Amino acid sequence: MAFEAIFQPIEIGKLTVRNRVVSTAHAEVHATDGGMTTERYVRYYEEKAKGGCGLCICGGSSVVSIDSPQGWWSSVNLSTDRIIPHFQNLADAVHRHGGKIMIQITHMGRRSRWDGFDWPTLLSPSGIREPVHRSTCKTIEEEEIWRVIGDFAQAARRAKEGGLDGVELSAVHQHLIDQFWSPRVNKRTDQWGGSFENRMRFGMEVLKAVRAEVGDDFVVGMRICGDEFHPDGLNQDDMKQIAAYYDATGKVDFFGVVGSGCDTHNTLANVIPNMSYPPEPFLHLAAGIKEVVSVPVIHAQNIKDPNQAQRILEGGYVDLVGMTRAHIADPHIIAKIKMNQVDQIKQCVGANYCIDRQYQGLDVLCIQNAATSREYMGLPHIIEKSDGPSRKVVVVGGGPGGMEAARVAAERGHDVVLYEGGPELGGQITIAAQAPQRDQIAGITRWYQLELARLKVDVRLNTRADAAELNALQADVVVLATGGQPFLDQTPEWGYSPVAEDSLVVSSWDILNGKVAPGNNVLIYDTICEFAGVSAADFLADKGARVEIVTDDIKPGAAVGGTTFPTYYRSLYEKEVIMTSDMMLHKVYREGDQLVAVLENEYTGQQEERVVDQVVVENGVRPDETLYYALKEQARNHGQLDLEALYAAQAQPCLSSEGEGYLLFRLGDCTAPRNIHAAIYDALRICKDL
Amino acid sequence: MLETLLPIVILASLALAGLGAWRRISLWRQGRAAPVALFKGLMALPRRYLVDLHHIVERDRYISHTHVATAGGFVAAAVLTLVVHGLGLAGGVLGWLLLLASAVMFAGSILVAKRRINPPARLSKGPWMRLPKSLMAFSAGVFLVTLPTVGVLPPDAGYWLLGLVLLAVVSGGLAEMFFGMTWGGPMKHAFAGALHLAFHRRPERFSTPAGAGRSTGLKALNLDDDKAPLGVEKPTDFTWNQRLGFDACVQCGRCEAVCPAFAAGQPLNPKKLIQDMVVGMVGGSDAGYTGSPYPGKAVGEHHGDPHGPIVAREGQALLDAETLWSCTTCRACVEECPMMIEHVDAIVDMRRHLTLERGQTPNKGAEVLENLIATDNPGGFDPDSRLHWAADLNLPNIADLGQVDVLLWLGDGVFDMRNQRTLRAFVKVLRAAGVDFAVLGNAERDSGDVARRLGDEATFQALAKRNIATLNQYQFLRIVTCDPHSFHVLNNEYGELGGNYHVNHHSTFIAELYREGRLAFKPWKGGSVTYHDPCYLGRYNGEYDAPRDVLKALGIEVREMQRSGYRSRCCGGGGGAPITDIPGKQRIPDMRMQDVGDTGADLVAVGCPQCTAMLEGVVDATAEVRDIAELVADALVTSPARVQAEEVTA
Repeated sequence: MAFEAIFQPIEIGKLTVRNRVVSTAHAEVHATDGGMTTERYVRYYEEKAKGGCGLCICGGSSVVSIDSPQGWWSSVNLSTDRIIPHFQNLADAVHRHGGKIMIQITHMGRRSRWDGFDWPTLLSPSGIREPVHRSTCKTIEEEEIWRVIGDFAQAARRAKEGGLDGVELSAVHQHLIDQFWSPRVNKRTDQWGGSFENRMRFGMEVLKAVRAEVGDDFVVGMRICGDEFHPDGLNQDDMKQIAAYYDATGKVDFFGVVGSGCDTHNTLANVIPNMSYPPEPFLHLAAGIKEVVSVPVIHAQNIKDPNQAQRILEGGYVDLVGMTRAHIADPHIIAKIKMNQVDQIKQCVGANYCIDRQYQGLDVLCIQNAATSREYMGLPHIIEKSDGPSRKVVVVGGGPGGMEAARVAAERGHDVVLYEGGPELGGQITIAAQAPQRDQIAGITRWYQLELARLKVDVRLNTRADAAELNALQADVVVLATGGQPFLDQTPEWGYSPVAEDSLVVSSWDILNGKVAPGNNVLIYDTICEFAGVSAADFLADKGARVEIVTDDIKPGAAVGGTTFPTYYRSLYEKEVIMTSDMMLHKVYREGDQLVAVLENEYTGQQEERVVDQVVVENGVRPDETLYYALKEQARNHGQLDLEALYAAQAQPCLSSEGEGYLLFRLGDCTAPRNIHAAIYDALRICKDL
Repeated sequence: MLETLLPIVILASLALAGLGAWRRISLWRQGRAAPVALFKGLMALPRRYLVDLHHIVERDRYISHTHVATAGGFVAAAVLTLVVHGLGLAGGVLGWLLLLASAVMFAGSILVAKRRINPPARLSKGPWMRLPKSLMAFSAGVFLVTLPTVGVLPPDAGYWLLGLVLLAVVSGGLAEMFFGMTWGGPMKHAFAGALHLAFHRRPERFSTPAGAGRSTGLKALNLDDDKAPLGVEKPTDFTWNQRLGFDACVQCGRCEAVCPAFAAGQPLNPKKLIQDMVVGMVGGSDAGYTGSPYPGKAVGEHHGDPHGPIVAREGQALLDAETLWSCTTCRACVEECPMMIEHVDAIVDMRRHLTLERGQTPNKGAEVLENLIATDNPGGFDPDSRLHWAADLNLPNIADLGQVDVLLWLGDGVFDMRNQRTLRAFVKVLRAAGVDFAVLGNAERDSGDVARRLGDEATFQALAKRNIATLNQYQFLRIVTCDPHSFHVLNNEYGELGGNYHVNHHSTFIAELYREGRLAFKPWKGGSVTYHDPCYLGRYNGEYDAPRDVLKALGIEVREMQRSGYRSRCCGGGGGAPITDIPGKQRIPDMRMQDVGDTGADLVAVGCPQCTAMLEGVVDATAEVRDIAELVADALVTSPARVQAEEVTA
C-alpha cells in the first residue's frame, strides 16, 4: 500500500488518531461574537474531517484570559463558560466524520495590541516591547502569574467539557509561556526568571494546573519552537533541554515543533514558509526534539505533498505531519489520496494569501480555493453535477478566473469551450511565475490544466474569440475573463507608446515574460507595491541589472503580505537593489541613448533625476472591456449580475429564465483589477449553479 | 447370408469392445485410489445423465436435439440390434422398433454431419470429422439389414453384392460405435462419460430430487500421509476417477470458448489440457490433437510419459508450467463442460506439486507465499495493522463481546485503500440497519485462498486451522464478508478442516436486510449500470440473484452484459493469476471492461475486492467501478439519530 506511513493510526495520550496528518493550529479569524466559534468555523473544520484529516488543532492563539485580547484576530475565547456549547457543536461536527479536534490555548502576553476593545494592559515577564505588533506591555506581577495559570486550567476544563479531544499549550511564537523561557525577553531576578528552572517555572505551573484539572483522559500537548534564530534567543540545544524537561514530567502527550521564532518580520517569515523556501526547511529541528522526548512529535512547515509526507513519516523524523496550508488549499487531500486521486489534489503553492490575510486581521482564505472557509455559505469543494438542462458554456480567457469558470461548468456536466489567446493557460499567473523564487505559483495553473483535461474541456489555445465567432457558437452561457493590460498610458508624461520602439517605458509584464530584454541600469517605478514590482526588480537584479525600485507609497512591496515581503527583501538587499520611497514618477524623457526619469518627492515636491537605460512602470492592470461591450447588448441579461444572489452565493436568477441568446457573465480583471482569489471566487459563485 | 454373418460381426465387435474396455479400465486404474461409492454411483447414473448432464447440454439447443436423437436412437438401436440380429429374435414389434430407432439415429447423424460443415473453431477435427459418417453407416446399415427381418424386403432379396456392401457398412459402424467406444476414438466419450458420471469425484455436484447440487471447494491434501504425493507430478498421481474423467472429454471446446486465459492469448486451453492428460495416460506426443493449441505453443512439440513428470524440470514434457499458472480458477470451463469434467481440480493438483515439491511458484508467487507464512497476509503488511483503516470507526471486536449476531470477516482488503472504501461503506450499511456485528480485528488472518490456489496447501491449511481455532472461540449466528474469495473458503473449504459456518456474501446480507425493511434507499440518480458477477460468488457459490436484487432495490435497472450470470467472464484476478502474471496478448480485465463498455453502462457494480482492483486498473475505461456496498451506502436514507455514527466518509 502506498502512503502506508500516513495511514498508520497513532495514540496520542489515550486518544487514537486515524492517520498521521494534522491541520495544525492557526488563527482562522472567524470566531466572532466575543470569540465564540461560529457556524462558519464549525463547517471549516468539519470539511477537513470529512476530507479525512486525522487531527485538527483549531484556534491558533485562542485566549485563556481577558487580558490577552481575542478581538484582533477573532480568535476563540476560552476565558468564559459561554464557549462550552459552541465547542460541543464543533466537536460533534468533526467527530461525526471520524476526525479528532483539539484547540490551542494561550496567553499571548506582550504579543498583541492594547489599543482597542478593552484597552488591556499587556503583560510580559519583563515589560519589554514587542516589535512585530509594536506593542508595549507591563511587567507581570506574581498575583497575575497565578491568575493566568488558573485561567489556563479553566480554559482546558472548558475545552474538555465542550467535548474537544485535547488542548495544545502554545509555548511558541513568543507567547507568554515562551516569553518566560527566553532570556531575550525574561530579565527577571525572582523565582520566575534567571536560572533554567526559574524560566521554566511558569510553563511548568501551567502544565501542572492544566493536567490536574483535566485528568489523564484528555490530551494535553505543547507547541514549542525548534530554534528562535536569534543570537540572544533559545537555540536548538536550549529547546531540546526544555522539551526533555517538560517531557520528563509525563504530563505532556505530544509536542508540536515550529522551526524559528517569530518576533521580528524576518523570523516570522520562517514560521509559515512561503514558496521561496525548500520543502520542510525546519524538519531537522523537529527531528532534534523527537530525539529527546518520549511522546509523539508533530511538525508542520512546508509539507504539502502526500509523497513528501510519506517520506518524512517513513523516515521517522517526526510522528505526525502538519499539512495545514495543504488543507486550506484542499481539505479533501486525504480523501483524494485514499481515492487514488493524488493528481486531483489542489496543492498549496505557498502564496501565503491565507496567513498574510490573517496577519492583517482578515479571515483566512485560500488564493486558489474560494470554497475554503466559505463552506457555511454553501460553496462546494466537490461540485455536484447539475440535474438541470445541459448547457453550452463558452469561457473566454484562460487566466485563473476563466480556468475556474471552465472547471466548475464542466464539473456541472456542461459542454465547455475555453478560449485562450496566448499559447498557454494561466494568464497573469504565468507571468508571476517567471520571477526568482516565485515559480511555484504556476502550481495553480498546473492543477487547472490537469483538471480541465480530466473534465475534457475543449481548450482552444492561441485563439482569440471575437464577437462574431462567439455568436456563431450558439452558447447558452458566455463567461468573459479576458483580464487586462498593464496600465501604462495613465500619465502621458511617462512616454508610453504601444509601438515598442517609440515607448520610453516598459511594463513589469514585458520584463517578466521576457518580451523586453533586461537593461543594465534600470529604474522601476512601482506605484502598486504588490508582487509585480518587486518581482520585476528581483528578476532584473537576478539578470545582473543595477536596479532601483521607486514608489510613491510607504515602501516598495508594502502591499505584499507580511510573510512574503521579508523573502523579497532578503533577495533584493542581497542583490543591492536600491529601494526608494515617497517619490512619484513625474516624467520620462530621452537624452541621447539614455533615459532620464524625473522623480518628484510626494511630500516636498522636490524633483530628482535618474539617468538609466530602462524604465519599468508597474501601475496595475487596465481591464480589457472590448469584447464585453461587443457582446453586452445581445446578451439576454446584458451582462448584468444580480448582486444579492451573487453575494449570498445563490444561483443567478437569470439562469432559470427562458429566452433567445446567451447569458453573459464577466469576472476577474476584465471587470476591475483585483487578484487571483477574487477572480476565482467570482467564477465559483457564478458557475456553481450553472 | 446376412442372418449368418450379422450375429458373428456383432458378437465380434462386442468382444472387441470388451477387450477395449479392459484396456481403458486398466489405464484408469493406474491412477491412485479414490473412495468412490461404485454401486450407488451406478444407480444414480440415469438421473445424473438425464437430468444434470442434459441440463448443461441443453444450453446448446441444436446439439441437445442432435444428441437426444443420435444417442437415444443409438442406445435403442444397439440394444435392439443385439436382440434382433445378434440373438435372432425378430418377432413381433421388435424389428419395427429397431427400424424406428435406427431411423431416429440416422436423422440425428444428419444433424451431426451438418454441424461438421464449417465447424466452429472450438470443435476438434481429425477423427471427429468421420463420426457423422460412422453414425450414418451404423444407423443406415442397421436400418437396411433390418428391412428383410420385418418382411418389407423378401428374406432372399439377398443380392450378394449389396449384402456384402451392407455388411461392410454395418461392420464399420459397429467398429466405431462398439469397439471405438472403449478402445479409443470419438465414441470413447460415451463409455468413459457414463462411468465418469457414475464415479464422479464430486458426487455432490449432482442434483437430487430435493434440489440442485454444488461442489466447488478444492479437496484437501492429507499432509500427514507420508506416502501420498504432494499434488500431481506424474499422470499416475491423479486418482483413477480423475483419469476416467479426462477420457470423458468430447472435445466440444465449450471450455475453450469461455476460458479467459485462452481469450487473452495466454498459453492455456482447458480442452487441450484435458487432452494432454489423456495423452499422458498412454504416453506419446500430442501431435494427434486436432483442436486449437495453447496460444503461442505449437502442437506436436510436447511428449507425455505415463510415469514421468507432466511438467519437465528442464526442457519440455507434457505441459509447460506457464500453462498451469495461466488459469484464474474461474471455473468457467467446469461450468460449461457437458461432461462435467473438473479442470480446475486437475490444474491445482499439478500446481501443488510445482509449489510444494519444487518451490517453483513463478513471479511474485514465492514472495506472496513467504509473506503469508511470515505475516499472515499476502502483502507482507504488519499483521497488527489490520484495523488501521478503521481507526476512526470504533469497530466492535468480538473478543470484547464473545457473542454477536454477525461476524464481519474483513479479508486482506483491509490493506488496500480502494477496498477500505468498500469496507467503510459496508460498515455504514450495517450501522444504518442496526446490525449487531463485530470483527476479529488483528486476530483475523488471510483466509488461505491465494495460498491454496497457488498450490501451497500447507500454508492454506496452516492459515485455515488458525482461523478456525480463532472462530471457534466465539459465538455468532453467521459470518458476513465483502470478499467472495473469503466467502468461498470459509463456506466451502473450511468444513473439511473442522470449521463449519453459515457464511453470507455482503450482497446476500444486504438483500436480506432490505427485505426485512431495515434499510431504505433514496431513488437512484446515477447513470446506467451493469453488474459483473464475481466468479467466486457466482459460479463457485451460485449467488446470482442477491446482488441483482440489491441493485433493483436501489432503483437500478441492470444492463446485463452478454456474458453474465453463470457465464460471467472472469476479471482476471482469481487463482493468484495477477501474482503469477503469465503474459498473453491482452489483459483479461481489459476484455471484461470492454464487455462493460459494450453495454454502454456508466458504472459497473461489483462485489469483490479482486474484481474491483482488476477492473479499476483498466486504462481508459468507459465505466466507473463501484462495489455494491458503496452504492448502497450512498443511497441510504438514515434516521437523523443515527447520522452521527455513520457519516464517516473518508
